[in-house]
Amino acid sequence: MTATLTLPTPSKSYVLADSVTMLRRSIRRIIRYPSMTLLLVGMPVVFLLLFVYVFGGTLGAGIGGASGGRAEYVNYVAPGIILMTVASSAQGTAISVAMDMTAGIIARFRTMAIARSAVLTGHVIGSLLQTMFSIVLVIGVAVAVGFRPNAGPLEWLAAFGILAFITLALTWLSVAMGLVSKSVETASNTPMILMLLPFVGSAFVPTDSLPTALRWFAEYQPFTPVTETLRGLLLGGPIGNNAVIAVAWCVALTLVGYFWAMSLFNRRASH
Amino acid sequence: MTRRSLKHTLRSPDTMVMTIALPIMILLMFVYIFGGAFDVGGEYIDYVVPGIILLCAGFGAGTAAVSVSTDMTNGIIDRFRTMAISRSSVLTGHVVESVVRNLLTTSIVIVVAVALGFRPTADPLKWLAALAVIAVFVLALSWISVALGLLARNPEAAQGFTFFLMFIPYVSSAFVPTDTMPTWLRSFAEHQPVTPVIETLRGLLMGTEIGNSAMLAVIWCDAIGLAGYLSASLIFKRKTAH
Repeated sequence: MTATLTLPTPSKSYVLADSVTMLRRSIRRIIRYPSMTLLLVGMPVVFLLLFVYVFGGTLGAGIGGASGGRAEYVNYVAPGIILMTVASSAQGTAISVAMDMTAGIIARFRTMAIARSAVLTGHVIGSLLQTMFSIVLVIGVAVAVGFRPNAGPLEWLAAFGILAFITLALTWLSVAMGLVSKSVETASNTPMILMLLPFVGSAFVPTDSLPTALRWFAEYQPFTPVTETLRGLLLGGPIGNNAVIAVAWCVALTLVGYFWAMSLFNRRASH
Repeated sequence: MTRRSLKHTLRSPDTMVMTIALPIMILLMFVYIFGGAFDVGGEYIDYVVPGIILLCAGFGAGTAAVSVSTDMTNGIIDRFRTMAISRSSVLTGHVVESVVRNLLTTSIVIVVAVALGFRPTADPLKWLAALAVIAVFVLALSWISVALGLLARNPEAAQGFTFFLMFIPYVSSAFVPTDTMPTWLRSFAEHQPVTPVIETLRGLLMGTEIGNSAMLAVIWCDAIGLAGYLSASLIFKRKTAH
């Protein structure tokens, strides 16, 4: 005869408390393994230095004509690099989730009176905080190499708002990618697509310098409106309808990521 | 030993696929995404392909380090020591296999480049010279990779050690002319080993000015190859002595 354990359905206050506990766990892990944060910051910084110092002179001239140069290109590329930091952090989230799923800790949590959603929420909020910290570091490096934003406090607030939103969207997507992966190695490779998308957008070069087929894709993919909104906010350029499209993409990606992650987690945690 | 190494490669096609796929992806990215914005005074694909060829060689040679490290950690060397096998042949096998594999992958990358619009102006003699330059460069890098593979504690560390082989071509004339770089970076880019090899390759395939690049390329390749060979032999002797 087998005994079945029936846990009470947690109330909303319990869900919140459990999420805070799981967030604390995620933050502890981040502090204990600073190498992961350094790695997440390291890749965008390497790309920033590469594109500014190695390719910047040529790309600056190609983008800005005779007036264009390395100084202009730093300002052009920095928002794209900031977004790359978000995509890079998503990879870290997928790895953390896959580690939890394969290490057996979830089985332990199932024996406790913990709100199921709290486990994933902890990962997401922890990753959000880690990414925002990484973004600040990357902006610091960008300023050191010549990035000169002319945004006021309100624009900076809006820029961080849009960055937090896209981080939330990509984090939920990467949580789902981490859950769908059979191993940690697979989880580290799956979000690579998110790392590649900024390249096929307006992050490094204007979309009108791309071949027609590629330009069409670049103009309608999620990273381009976010990059253009960020560029407009930080450098005072025209934003147009990019902000609305960026927010719409963020909402759509968050919902897709959230529901996909939840259904995968419920399926995997139930057996 | 070369046959053994080649069998290993054929049995793990994923390594071969990655060795080919990564340079092709980088080629596609630089030609289609950045190519329109780069101003190099001509067709960008013709400018970038020699650099991609060397990037491919660097990436391919780097896998030799992982193979050697795997051999050193899984105990096969101890087995070989009980047999009447020349000690040096173990390493030589890895190096020869690396050269053969890299020439094959480089050929595939060149075919893809031609399909994308690369139009070399070289005659058969210049093609032969270009292949010789690639082979000598791969040989030099393979010996350095083998030495790094012997130094590494495990295959993962060996992969990390060879990362710079992948990175050095970026800080050269592979993707952009060195005169577009800041002064401090330009002096490094102009005096590092990859630049003269690329300029020689570009000159042979596209008919651009070679100058003293060919001589510098040969000197660099010989120096790197010799340093790699001597250090690899020394480390291998020390590691298998007890």
